[in-house]
Amino acid sequence: MTEKNPDKGYIAILGWSLNAIDAIDRFDRRYVVVAPPWAEEYARANGIPFIPWDFDRLNERSHEIAQTLKEEGCDVAIPLYEETVEWAGAINSVLLDNPRLLAQSMLFRDKSLMKRRAQLSGIRVGIFEEADSRADVVRFLKRVNQTLLKLDGDPNDPIHFKAFDKAGCLGHRIIRTVDDVESISDDEFPALLESHLDGWEFAVEAWIKDRKIQFLNISEYVTLGYSVFVPATPELESWRGKITREIEKLIEAFDIDFGFIHPEYFVTSDGTMYFGEVAYRPPGFNALELIERAYGFNGYQGIVLAFDPKTTQEEMDAFFPTPVKDAKGHAGCFGAYPRRRVVSEMQIPEETQDDPYFEFHELAQPLEQKVTKRSAFGTHWGLVYFFGEDPYRMRDLLKVQEDLDFYV
Amino acid sequence: MSEQDSARLDQLRATMEVALSRLEAARPFAKHRFQQAVLDVAYRMLTLPDGPDALYALAPRLDAAGLFAGSDWDAPATLQPRIVKHTLQSEHAATVMLEVASLLRMLAVARGDAEHAGIQADHARHFLTQVLALNLDRFFGQTDEAARSRDSVREASLDRLFRYLAAHIGFQDVLGLLVAEIWRILGQRPVQVGLVKDMIAQIAVSALERGNELGEARLGADRLVSALFAPTAGCREDPGLETYRARLGAMDDTALRHEAQGFARAMHDTGLVSDYHADFLRWAVEQGNGALVPDALGLGSTGLECWRQYGALVEGLIAEAVTPWTAQSVYGLAMLLERGILHHAPIAPALQRQMALKLCPAACAHLQAAFGGQVAPETFLLAGVLQVLGQPLGVGQGANPSCQSARALSMWALNAPDYLLHLVAQAATYDTLQMHFEGHPIDSADLPAGLVSGAPLDADAVSVILVPHLDRIYAEMGRRCADRGDDPHRWINPEFHGWWVGRECLVIVDVPSGGLADVHGFVRRFYRTYHPEYNGQEPVIHPQPAGIAVTDASARFVGWHAISILRVAEDQTGVMRVYFYNPNNDSGQDWGAGLVVSTQGRGERHGEASLPFPDFAARLYLFHYDPVLRTQSRKEPPPQAVAGVVDAIRSSWAAGRPDVDEEVLRAAAAPASP
Repeated sequence: MTEKNPDKGYIAILGWSLNAIDAIDRFDRRYVVVAPPWAEEYARANGIPFIPWDFDRLNERSHEIAQTLKEEGCDVAIPLYEETVEWAGAINSVLLDNPRLLAQSMLFRDKSLMKRRAQLSGIRVGIFEEADSRADVVRFLKRVNQTLLKLDGDPNDPIHFKAFDKAGCLGHRIIRTVDDVESISDDEFPALLESHLDGWEFAVEAWIKDRKIQFLNISEYVTLGYSVFVPATPELESWRGKITREIEKLIEAFDIDFGFIHPEYFVTSDGTMYFGEVAYRPPGFNALELIERAYGFNGYQGIVLAFDPKTTQEEMDAFFPTPVKDAKGHAGCFGAYPRRRVVSEMQIPEETQDDPYFEFHELAQPLEQKVTKRSAFGTHWGLVYFFGEDPYRMRDLLKVQEDLDFYV
Repeated sequence: MSEQDSARLDQLRATMEVALSRLEAARPFAKHRFQQAVLDVAYRMLTLPDGPDALYALAPRLDAAGLFAGSDWDAPATLQPRIVKHTLQSEHAATVMLEVASLLRMLAVARGDAEHAGIQADHARHFLTQVLALNLDRFFGQTDEAARSRDSVREASLDRLFRYLAAHIGFQDVLGLLVAEIWRILGQRPVQVGLVKDMIAQIAVSALERGNELGEARLGADRLVSALFAPTAGCREDPGLETYRARLGAMDDTALRHEAQGFARAMHDTGLVSDYHADFLRWAVEQGNGALVPDALGLGSTGLECWRQYGALVEGLIAEAVTPWTAQSVYGLAMLLERGILHHAPIAPALQRQMALKLCPAACAHLQAAFGGQVAPETFLLAGVLQVLGQPLGVGQGANPSCQSARALSMWALNAPDYLLHLVAQAATYDTLQMHFEGHPIDSADLPAGLVSGAPLDADAVSVILVPHLDRIYAEMGRRCADRGDDPHRWINPEFHGWWVGRECLVIVDVPSGGLADVHGFVRRFYRTYHPEYNGQEPVIHPQPAGIAVTDASARFVGWHAISILRVAEDQTGVMRVYFYNPNNDSGQDWGAGLVVSTQGRGERHGEASLPFPDFAARLYLFHYDPVLRTQSRKEPPPQAVAGVVDAIRSSWAAGRPDVDEEVLRAAAAPASP
C-alpha cells in the first residue's frame, strides 16, 4: 500500500470501478469506496476500504450516506458513473457545506436542462428539443428537414436521439427515417433530440481546480462510437485557444469550482464551435487510459487532486505535464464490433497485427454466434489499442480498422 | 532470424514493456484487468523465431508481475503435466499463452534462473520432462486432425517452443521417450519416413555429443542410428558411399552375403533403409551379381518364389527405382515381392509400363516440387509405386485434408493394385483422370480444385500424382448428390472405390438436422454385419470404407474422418477388436474417454490400428454393408452391449445432438432416394 498522507484529503469514491480503485489505491490520498452491496465481499477480501450503498434508490435515507461520510471524516466525494453524479452533488453539498453543488449536479444529469443552461449562458448549441414520444421524434425529423429545404423524397438529414440520463454513447441513436423511429423502445423516453451538424466532433477532458483549468486534453474522434486518439492532430489542436475559452464559458455557466468535466463539441468548417453535452465524471471509452499512455500521468489520480480541497497549486503544477508538448506520442483506441451477422471467433486482422502502431487488444471471444442487430451506439466488443508518433498516421490507421473484420 | 523478424521482436519487446509495467503497477485485485494485454503481446512474441528465448528472459518478471494471479497457474506446485496438452489445444490464444508462460517459468526455475515459492528446481525439471514426454508429437511435426483444424502459425510456434524446452532442459529422459516414440511410429511402417529419419539424425548427433547422458535409451537409439547410417560391417563407421563401393569390390562372396543379410536384418527390424543398402543393391545388379538380391531384400518363401519367376523384372526395377535418394523403395520392393502380387497376371506388365512411362510436364513439376531434382521424376514415381504397393497400409495423407484420397489409394494398393497402376499411368501421362459416377463420366481436368490446393508436398510420390485429381473427382461426386438430403458418402463410396464396397450404407447422423437417427438400430446393424459372433463368423472380405467421428483426448468432437475396416478378430488376450486403416500419418491417437487407438502389441499387422469392437463402434458414424449377403446365421447382439455403445456415443462426439424422430426420417428419406 502506498503511504497515505494524513495532511491531504480523505476521498470517497462513488461507484465500483477496479480501474479507478487500483489507481487511487496507488495514490497518496486516503480513500473509501462507496458502492453497491454486491461488491462488499470482494472489497473486504482484497482490503479495499468499503461502505455499501445502493444508489438505485433515492429516498428519505439519502441524507444518511452524506452523514456517514462526514462522520468518517471524508472531505469530498467523487462520482465515477453518470448514475452517481447527483449523489456526489448531494453528498458534497453536505461535506463542503455548499447547497449549490446539488443543484449543479442536477444540471449535469439532464441533457435538456444542461443544454438550456449552456444556451442561456451564451454558448452556441445546435437545434434541440425534448421528446416524450415517437410522434415528437417524427415531428422534429420533419421540421429539421423542412428547414433545410428538403423536398419529399430527398434523403433526410439525420437527427440525433439521446436518452436523457444515459451516459455517453448508450442510448444514442441516429435517426434518418420514420422507420428508424419505430425501433425506439418506450423506456428510452424522455430523450433529447438534436439536429445533425456536419463537422468535426471531439471531446475534451478538463481537470479543474479553483475555477481554473489545470489540464485540458482534446480527444479526437475519428468516427464517433468507434475510435478516438490523444493528443489530437495539429489541425484540431490549433483550436486549443478557442476551446479553452469555451471551457471557461462552461465553468462560468455551470459554476464549476473544482472537479473533472468531459464535454463534447462540434467544430464546423468555419470554426464555429457547438456545445454538445458535458459530463461531470470520468469518460468512457478508456480515454484516461489513452491519456496515461500518451502523457504518463494517471487520470484518476488527477481527478482526486482536482476534487481534494486540500490539494495545493504546487501539487497540481508538479502533477500535470504541458499539453501536447510533453506527450510521448499519440495513443488511440478502436472499439471493435462484429461486422457479420454470424461470427465464430475473434481474430485480429493480419494488417492490424502487423502494424507497428498496434499495441494490444482487449477483445473478448464471442459468446454467441449470432450478432444482435445494432440499434444504438455503444456496445463494442472490446478495445484495440494503438500508439505511435504520427497523428495523421494514427487517424488513418484507426479509420482503416472500421473496414476490417475482428470477428469472423 | 530474419532482419524483419528481429525488428518485430524488438518492437514487441518495447510494447511488452508498456503492458508489463501496467501489470506490475496494478494492485493485486486489479491484475486481471491488465493480464490480457500482456498475454496478447507475449503471444505475438511467441510466434517469432526467437520468441521463446525472449519470453524465457521475461518469465520471472511475468510471474512476479502477477500474470498468473487469479488462475490455477498461480500455484505451480499443483499443476498437472497431463493437462498441458489440452490447454495448448484451447481455441483462446490467451489461454495457450498462459500455459506457455507457465512452462517457461518452470524452465527458469529448473535452470536456477528464477525462484518461485513452493517449487524446487528438481520439481520443475521433472514437471517439464513429463510435459515434453507427453507432447512428443511436437518433435515429430506430425499433425493429427485436431491439430490440422487449428491455426498453423500457432502449431509451428508451439513446436518451436517444445524444441526450445527440450534443448534447455537436458536431454536424458526426454531422449529415452523420444526413442520409444520413434519405435512406435516405425511399428506402423509408414511410407513417409523423412521426418523420422531427420529425428534419428538429430539423435545421432546428440548421442555423439552427449552419449553419456543417454542412459538406458542408448540401446534403442543405437539400433535406429545404425539402421540408417551403419547397418553392416562394411559401413560400420559411416564411411561415405564412394569408399563403401570401393570396399565392395574387394569383398569375397561370403563377405558380400554377410553385407546383404546385415542390410536385410536392419531393414526388417526398423522399416528404414540405409543409403548404403540402396547403393549395395545397385552395385550388385550392375555387377551382374543378382544372386545377392534375395538376401539383400531379406525375402521369405513367397518373395523368393516371386523373385525366381520375375528376377529380370526385379533387377529392372532396382536399376530404375533404387537410388540413395529413393532408398525406401528397397523396403517397398521387398514387401511387394513378399505379398506375391506379381503372380497376379496384370501386375508384371503394368510395372513394365510404369518403367517405360514418360511423364507429362505437370507431373514432373509436382514431383520435383515435392522431392527435388537429384534423380529423374520418373525414378521418384517408380520408387513411390513400389512403396505404396509394398506397404498399402503405410500410405499417409500428410498435412492435407485428403483422407478420402489417401484411403482410396491405400485400398487400391491393397485390393486392386492393377487398377492403381492404371490410374497412375493415366494421371502421370495425361494429367487427368477419368472416373464414372452413376454411369456418367467425370474428367478431373474439367473440374475446379477440391479441398486440396495443388499437389501435396509432404506425401508419397503416388499421392503427389493422384491426390489432386482424386480430390477434384471426389468433390464433383459430392456436388452431384448434394441435394439428396443425406450423407453423400452413401452414393460416393461405392462408385469411387470399387465394386466391393457394400451397396447399402447406414449413417447415424441425420444430415439436414445434425441429430442422431436411430442410434440403436445403427449399432445393432454394425454388430450383425461385422462382429463374427453375430454375423455367422463371416470375415471381412475386402477393406470397407467407414466414417469415424474423431474426438480429442477429452472425447470432444473434432471432425469426420475416413478410414477403412480391414478385419475383425480376437487379439491374443481374447478381446474382439476391429483392425482398421487410418490414412492419418500416425494412427496411435487418444480419442478420449479411455479410447486409445492401439497400433502394435494387440495383434496388429504393420500399419493397422485397432480398438476393441464396442469402442470402435462408439466412434463410428457411417458404414457400408451388402444386403445381398444376408446369411441365416446372423443374430442380434445383446441389448446391454448395444446400450453401452449408445451411451458411449452420446457422452462423447454426439453430446448435445438431439434424436431425430424416426417417422420424420422415413418421410423425409422416401422421395430423396435415387
